[in-house]
Amino acid sequence: MPKPGYIYVVYIQAPCEKVWDALIDPEMTKDYWGRHRNSSDWKAGSRWQHEDYDDASQVAVAGMVIENDRPHRLVLSWARPESLDDPDKVSKVTFTIEEQFGSTKLTVVHSELDNEMLRGIGAGWPAILSSLKTMLETGASLPMTRRRWKSGN
Amino acid sequence: MSKPEFVYTTYIETTAEKLWHALTDGDFTERYWFGHRVASEWKVGGPYQFTKQGKPSVEGEVLESDQPRRLAYTWDACSADASRERSSRVTFDLEARGNVIKLTVTHDNLDEGGKILRDISGGWPMVIASLKGLLESGRVLDIDPTAAADKEKACA
Repeated sequence: MPKPGYIYVVYIQAPCEKVWDALIDPEMTKDYWGRHRNSSDWKAGSRWQHEDYDDASQVAVAGMVIENDRPHRLVLSWARPESLDDPDKVSKVTFTIEEQFGSTKLTVVHSELDNEMLRGIGAGWPAILSSLKTMLETGASLPMTRRRWKSGN
Repeated sequence: MSKPEFVYTTYIETTAEKLWHALTDGDFTERYWFGHRVASEWKVGGPYQFTKQGKPSVEGEVLESDQPRRLAYTWDACSADASRERSSRVTFDLEARGNVIKLTVTHDNLDEGGKILRDISGGWPMVIASLKGLLESGRVLDIDPTAAADKEKACA
């Protein structure tokens, strides 16, 4: 049976490059992604991790950079750090960034999920991506996403 | 097997009353809903209708009207190829989260693989992005959804 997937689409009034940079710039992610940062050299094949902005030893998610085609496509593998070696527990996130009529369409596909992760991210992505849109359009993110969550994402 | 449904959640920096007004006021919907004006008294059992440049686009019956928490209506698209499908249903749930409103749009009772499912899966993220933009920054999304749908078809 295929593993469940999740998709979220958001339109943002900002250039593709700006949306791309917001996904990996710690000074931006800390404000809309629960005071976390995504750290990597972002080369295909490199490791990346989603860690606490103030304490990099607190790693919530880790994986590999599968594809990096700035500013249109970023593909990451995605797992709890302790589950990185268990293929059943490693999911995949694909960010697709396209220009549409002067706006940017950001599509996040989170695939190959196990049920536990599906429950967690189903609540997480809409909040994070809504706040990203607000931040890029108004200059300030949604207050609830500036704080740490109880769980990782 | 369960019938298909489309669920879209977003968070908007506004009040529930303002968001309710934005969903139910024709002057407001015309601005962010790509020219579609809604008209209704929003009484349960009564009718509502969207029109664009005077021509009906979507219509139906108000199923729930619990201001400012929950609005539900049946959904009949007024186009020749959609009219063969039965009525679907749209529900808006508004929940306060501090100074932010969590808006969940659920579109269900859809025909499997039908035209309406295809149209609304692409359409709701545009409408909601435009609504959120108007309430938060005064800027709507400058997209013509008909042209966007044609473009997606061309890419497929």
